[in-house]
Amino acid sequence: MIELWQAMAQGVLIGSTYGLLALGMGLVYGVSGVVNFSHGDFISLGMFMCLALYSALSLDPYVSAIITVPVMTVIGALVYRYLIRPMVGHQFLMVVQLTLGLSLVLQNGILMVFGGQPARTPSMVDSKLIILGDVVLRVPHVIAFVVSFALAIGLFVMLRSTDFGRSIRAVHQNAHAAALMGIDVSRVQVLTFALGIGILAIAAALLLPGTPIQPTQGLRYTVITLLVVVLGGMTNFVGIMLGGLIIGIAEAFGTIYLSETLGALMPYMIFVVIMLFRPQGLTWRSPR
Amino acid sequence: MRQEFYQTLRSPVLWGGLAIAALLPFVLTSYYLNIVILALVYVALASSWNIVGGMAGQISMAHSLFIGVGAMFSTALLIKLGINMWLGMLISAAIAGALGAIIAWIDFRFQLGHLSFVLITLAFAEMGGIIVEGWDFLGGASGLMLPRDTGNFVAFQFGGGRGAFWVMLVLATLCVIVNIAILNAPLGYYLRSIRDNEKAAQAIGVNVLRYKVVAMVISAMLASIVGTAYVRYLTFADPYLLVSPVITIEIVLFATVGGLGRAFGPALGALLLVPLGEILRGKLGGTLPGLHYFIYGIVVIAVILATPRGLLSLLESLWMRWRGRATVKL
Repeated sequence: MIELWQAMAQGVLIGSTYGLLALGMGLVYGVSGVVNFSHGDFISLGMFMCLALYSALSLDPYVSAIITVPVMTVIGALVYRYLIRPMVGHQFLMVVQLTLGLSLVLQNGILMVFGGQPARTPSMVDSKLIILGDVVLRVPHVIAFVVSFALAIGLFVMLRSTDFGRSIRAVHQNAHAAALMGIDVSRVQVLTFALGIGILAIAAALLLPGTPIQPTQGLRYTVITLLVVVLGGMTNFVGIMLGGLIIGIAEAFGTIYLSETLGALMPYMIFVVIMLFRPQGLTWRSPR
Repeated sequence: MRQEFYQTLRSPVLWGGLAIAALLPFVLTSYYLNIVILALVYVALASSWNIVGGMAGQISMAHSLFIGVGAMFSTALLIKLGINMWLGMLISAAIAGALGAIIAWIDFRFQLGHLSFVLITLAFAEMGGIIVEGWDFLGGASGLMLPRDTGNFVAFQFGGGRGAFWVMLVLATLCVIVNIAILNAPLGYYLRSIRDNEKAAQAIGVNVLRYKVVAMVISAMLASIVGTAYVRYLTFADPYLLVSPVITIEIVLFATVGGLGRAFGPALGALLLVPLGEILRGKLGGTLPGLHYFIYGIVVIAVILATPRGLLSLLESLWMRWRGRATVKL
């Protein structure tokens, strides 16, 4: 029973960050129909920037986020403006190959700068624990959970009641009509992509303490994010957070109750099973 | 089958080129011979991927799984159960084909258009990698070692460098010819109609599920056979090389750079990029690991932005301009 609660708690905490990772991808997909296959490598980039700031200035990852978020946001805007936008419209499927190429560039750029050895970035709260009855929680996980949910709620409010949020929703519903209403569609798309990459910088800082990182990890993060987004029905906000929790819990249960291999397989098996029975995602509303 | 298929098969340029290529092992040093063999492996793999990725427009990320089945499973059958590798090759190809059919069927239940195929195949590729690393029968994370290559043809041994070169040349040619055949057969037209507009294809009576499955099965079986031959040449079945999604990404990018959905496009991409990458790695790999992948990435992004239809189309239009006539081609 203790193990059960432990697995639940761990899964929910990590899953919330998976949800946050996926929200960025879902937003971008909703607005411009682009699925970014270098998503995980941008997470890597954020993590390694934190590592560099730690080695150079011994900054805590949470403090580094103040620097990495604006940098990553600008990188996101540039990538969309100069690499992805020329493709949107006429050669749409090529975006997949383009972002795969970008993934190779990022991953191996990081490899050339930092080398291939797994690295850790310590943080002040690294080894602190919170003990609730029989359940032991690591403080970085708790921080990740709180910040992820706060950000998700912030994003939700932003989409709901600011002008920028309304323009995002308008472009998502019907880009053509939005353009006729005087919304600068391509500006919204650039800003959304930049926002998505900026969120990744925060998520990277949240995931970093206590996690060994290496340049080749990017694709695995991309895949986890994709599973979550698809489970959540691609653009459904609540669905995506729910998908994150499910994948997080599946992973935690798998690693605690089953062998290492089966544990790592759990999220994928759950994904395939859910997709077989609910091809439109977890939520009842269809992704349209 | 259209007449063009037989014309291409009878073309003296094709067979003359192959005959000259077959003499390469007698002139090249073993360093360059290895590079050419590797290029041929990727010609074969990229061409097999092209059937589903290029013609049908279903970007499959599951090919590492098929290559992995061909490489790891046939090796495991030989080492753990003593099954002849020719038979192992056929068994593996059958398994890869079955996996391909299952994946294509599951994808069909999805309702996300072209993207769903990338997502679901990527999920399967990741699962395949995890399974191979965790299953001792397939060698686990440490891989499997094949017995030394003594040139015994019956035991699937081709005697190292030269033999491997000729085997790969045959396989690469086979994959390209299968491409030409499909492009000129009804199947090729169905696949291209699915690529261009799936709903319209369905509306005019193309059985979308059936042809997606057929394309995936052919592609998976070819990739698996190439995987078996590749692992025989490598002698060491390394899961981090053969079942990693990186090998798929390479294939996809070579095919894209050369020209998607064209018979010779993926071959062109692999023949240009593999030697480039290998020579860079040979010169600079010691000081800067990852540089050749970095350059692949840059080249791919540049080619996609400059000429999204690939280098083959670019070369053709340059050729036509030089000959002074305009052309319209599919």
